[in-house]
Amino acid sequence: MTTQLTDAEVSGLGETTVVDARGAACPGPMIEAKKAMSGVAVGAVMEVWSSDSQTQEDVGIWTEMAGHTYLGVISARGYERIFIRRGK
Amino acid sequence: MAEGKKFVVMATHGPDNPEMATLPFVMGAAAAAADVEVVMGFQGEGVSLVKSGVAETINAPGFRPLAELLQTIREFGGTFLVGGPCISSRGIVEADLVEGSHVVTAGRFVAEIASATNVLWY
Repeated sequence: MTTQLTDAEVSGLGETTVVDARGAACPGPMIEAKKAMSGVAVGAVMEVWSSDSQTQEDVGIWTEMAGHTYLGVISARGYERIFIRRGK
Repeated sequence: MAEGKKFVVMATHGPDNPEMATLPFVMGAAAAAADVEVVMGFQGEGVSLVKSGVAETINAPGFRPLAELLQTIREFGGTFLVGGPCISSRGIVEADLVEGSHVVTAGRFVAEIASATNVLWY
């Protein structure tokens, strides 16, 4: 499920809605993403910030089950930025 | 996509085992976040978890607070079914339970389980 994005690819995604789930315990990032998704337009991109290394797998699975598109991940300082495109 | 799926998550552990008490709520919240229909069932000592004020006392290390997970499941449309004989034997009445709880008997659990795509039992 892991797709490493480059800085250029991330820049190409344009404006995103940021969900800062750093420090949230499982299944916190999924829950935060679900709650925030209602404020994201269909086709727009959300990024979930997480300091938990297992979150990207969790969020990737959630994305598929919930009908969205997992775009990939890029590492930041001490956390990961996981990108999702809203599908419905 | 998860639409059309239904999980019944049965909780039978009480506050004396915070991790086992919390796990059903972790799975219930994760499933609800993925648009799975979630029915939480409480039997045995598990009924204590939905007695008002009890969830707020349970914080298993490494997990989100149980009360927060409970609220999340409710917010995402989860159902809470509580075994009638189990609350009676503990001196708990329906008015003691958290908002949205429904007291049921074995037949309702059977119906929910029979119509579920998956059942998790803790």
